[in-house]
Amino acid sequence: MSKMRYSRRSVLKGGAAAFAASALPAPMIWAQEIKDVVLRQAGTGVSAFNEVAAKVKEDLGFTLEMTALDSDAVTQRAATQPDSYDIADIEYWICKKVWPTGNLQAMDVSKIKNYDKIVGIFRNGKLAPDSVIAQGTAPHTVGFVEGPGSKTFVQEESGWMTLIPTIYNADTLGIRPDLIGRPIESWAELLNPEFKGKASILDISSIGIMDMAMVCEAMGAIKYADKGNMTTDEIDKTIAIFTEAKKAGQFRAFWKSFDESVNLMASGEVVIQSMWSPAITAVRAQGIPCVYQPLKEGYRSWGGGIGLSAGLTGLPLDAAYEYINWYLSGWVGGFLMRQGYYSAVPETSKEFMSADEWGFWFEGKPATGDIVSPQGTVIEKAGAVRDGGSFEDRMGKVACWNSVMDENQYMVRKWNEFIAA
Amino acid sequence: MRRANINSWLLAAPLTAVLAVFLVLPILLIVAVSFWTADEFTFGPDFQFGNYDYLFGSAVAWKVFGLTMLMAAIVWALTLVIGFTVAYFLAFHIRTLKWQMVLFLLTTIPFWTSNIIRMISWIPLLGKNGLVNQALLGAGLIDEPLQWLLYSGFSVCLAFVHLYTLFMVVPIFNTMMRIDRALIEAARDAGASGFQILTNVILPLTKPGIMIGSIFVIALVMSDFVTTRFMSGSQLANVGRLIANDIGLLQYPSASATAVVLLVTVLLIIGAMLRVVDIRKEL
Amino acid sequence: MEKRPASFYVLGAFFAAFMLFLYGPTITIAILSFQGPDGGLTFPLRGVSLNWFRELFMDQAVGDIWGSFRRSLVLGLMVMVTTVVVSVMAGLAFRRHFAGSTVLFYLVVGSLVIPSILVSMGVGLLFDRTGLGSHWATTAFGAQLTWTLPFGILIMFAVFNRFNPAYEEAARDQGASTWQVFAHVVLPLIAPALVGVALFGFTLSYDEIARTILVSGSRNTLPLEIWGMTTNVTSPVLYALGTLTTLFSLTLVAAVIVAVTVMQRARARNGSDAGKGDL
Repeated sequence: MSKMRYSRRSVLKGGAAAFAASALPAPMIWAQEIKDVVLRQAGTGVSAFNEVAAKVKEDLGFTLEMTALDSDAVTQRAATQPDSYDIADIEYWICKKVWPTGNLQAMDVSKIKNYDKIVGIFRNGKLAPDSVIAQGTAPHTVGFVEGPGSKTFVQEESGWMTLIPTIYNADTLGIRPDLIGRPIESWAELLNPEFKGKASILDISSIGIMDMAMVCEAMGAIKYADKGNMTTDEIDKTIAIFTEAKKAGQFRAFWKSFDESVNLMASGEVVIQSMWSPAITAVRAQGIPCVYQPLKEGYRSWGGGIGLSAGLTGLPLDAAYEYINWYLSGWVGGFLMRQGYYSAVPETSKEFMSADEWGFWFEGKPATGDIVSPQGTVIEKAGAVRDGGSFEDRMGKVACWNSVMDENQYMVRKWNEFIAA
Repeated sequence: MRRANINSWLLAAPLTAVLAVFLVLPILLIVAVSFWTADEFTFGPDFQFGNYDYLFGSAVAWKVFGLTMLMAAIVWALTLVIGFTVAYFLAFHIRTLKWQMVLFLLTTIPFWTSNIIRMISWIPLLGKNGLVNQALLGAGLIDEPLQWLLYSGFSVCLAFVHLYTLFMVVPIFNTMMRIDRALIEAARDAGASGFQILTNVILPLTKPGIMIGSIFVIALVMSDFVTTRFMSGSQLANVGRLIANDIGLLQYPSASATAVVLLVTVLLIIGAMLRVVDIRKEL
Repeated sequence: MEKRPASFYVLGAFFAAFMLFLYGPTITIAILSFQGPDGGLTFPLRGVSLNWFRELFMDQAVGDIWGSFRRSLVLGLMVMVTTVVVSVMAGLAFRRHFAGSTVLFYLVVGSLVIPSILVSMGVGLLFDRTGLGSHWATTAFGAQLTWTLPFGILIMFAVFNRFNPAYEEAARDQGASTWQVFAHVVLPLIAPALVGVALFGFTLSYDEIARTILVSGSRNTLPLEIWGMTTNVTSPVLYALGTLTTLFSLTLVAAVIVAVTVMQRARARNGSDAGKGDL
């Protein structure tokens, strides 16, 4: 195992050096000044890894201060305190609400070297040229604005990007196969009375409602015109179905932080729930069987990205672009993909992963050796296959994206009614 | 009179300054922002009475306010009984200041471990496979794990009592320490039983402490949102959660409206309590 | 020493049960902090090890436990001292009615009641718009005071309740200045209660999240750091931290007992009767 890590390190070093040589041909003076720059990044613990900050210092010379908060707090800061951060790491769906505050500045894609290699999902919404765009707040719909200073989102690649995608994934239900003992194929199983008192979904209204919609649609109870932008009538029906289930005792609890979902599953309080990929890994790391179950109706997807504070100018702004270019150049991508997320520019990440890692995480191939987490623990043995398969298999079956709806206020009120029921 | 006023003002100046800069100004700013229609903010001009209309017209809002008050009442009663008993024990049965101090410190120590860590640890304590269920199963008292120990109204109350009893103990203990021991001696000499001394001497003299503790507990429970969310596994809603859910989606006007109603409700409750016992008059 | 009445044992048992209840989560944390290297935050125990105590002193994947611990400790002490001083001053002021005292009183109560997240957001907004910026030692310090001061002041209400002014008058009659009356008469009388206020101030600050979360600048306090860490995979490292905190605090209390005992003995030798009174 330790050998494995060594070999990867040396690969990383080689790659970084090659990158440094090609990407930083700037004069020495500039290189000296930029060392004093401190960029403050506010984001959730999902992507605020100390190793990333350390690597920035090593590769780029300047300091990246990462503050990890919960997603609500990051949103509040992004929306109300533009001076308290230089870089905001937020999710695409909330960008729809944060961008109009004018606290973030649009990014000039001509300064972003790997822009052309960013996966289509974030540029035109399509994974492959013939893909159907999923419902909800798909990242490309809030990914571009008219130009600098603009608050109007545009639906085509305008050259001015709101967020640079960092990580994203396709979410589904996590199950405890040992406690369920039969195949699970549909979102509808979440409300199956068989799992009374042992089911859970997220308690983040805008994400939870999407899980609910997936279930209601799978049950054939509601046919949505657009799950990502429900009418008040559709919201009413959806909440009514879940309120009934809640009153009947279907749910053990609802979770809000990543950690809670791990604990609910690991302790056996819950056997079926909506979950995030690394949470599954964390449960498995404890030796407890847990499957990220692909379902026939498809996935509910989400994406995060980094945006620049409107107040960022001059040298720090140059540093921020350096950082973004570095972010997309592969090392971070490899680091994040080894945790079960996807990188915005998979092809650069490939250079920073072993062939086996790439095969397992991205291509959905059986692992040929042990798969090791970035923290160094073995998380999969040889022969294991990633739940759901390859990148194309998973991201190609996205049914909807996490959303902010037009009837947002109404939805929150209904959600409160659901919780209070 | 005037000199006394100036003296009091000077003494109260630091408090006033802190509250002015870190409470009054910021809150005024939020209120102003909710009215703003300027480009910078999109929280827009919908700080109208629609939010209040909704609050007063919605059955759910009434239900949630009702539940919040019910929870406050239950927790208040429990913390009062437990807190009074503990304070009584410390004040009248522990004889030296040193041991009073030591026991008080011991009750504080659990709170120096971060609340988040303690919250996480309720699962292994009260969960299906938790310590309590294992102990009960082991003792043959139950046949299968008790579900209602966790993620229920019970667990929310339990956590509140756990968190807030100390807020009752401290003020009650302090007023008890101010009771002239000669009064108790006199009552005993006059033939009063221990119970009579408790109800006729100690209890009336402790009222201000009880009132202060009650203000703490009621204010804390009414404005809570973290404990209710965690301990009910998000199955119960209180007013704090309505506000938090609104803020999570940047619905500031609606959140402020709910907060205003909450603030007024709690101040009215506390105002009514102070009519019964004026803690300031009895200084 | 007079014989203990029966009620002492009943109440003693009640107090012991209360302590067991208070320490319930602490005990769970203590057991699970010895979780084996593959174990998680919940039962079952997967082996027994000191692994998580070792991990606690290494770099975490997310978050900086020791850096935030240092900040929280300093901030807690700052808040503690300020809370005691400001509360005592305000407590003295409130002993008399003064113009505006009712408004100030309800402001104090309001500060306790107002949803913390609004305070945090307001302070953040104010300091952001005025260009002053937020930092754990400035904005977070102020925001936490709006939380700790109501507790401190209301406890001072309990302390000054039926506070006998005869001592002060006696001292004043003998020509003591206002300051002397305070320093030599009032302060010694209220000192034990101030320990309570100080402990409240420190504990409330050390564990505060909601009022701090939007105003701590780019460096988190300990509870914020832990809160941030729970948005990713967390490990029994958190429990190890809890266990160490408890052990350290118990040691501290033991030290206090020893120190007080030694001081009392020394005083007894010197013939003073202070602190000897059987209460």
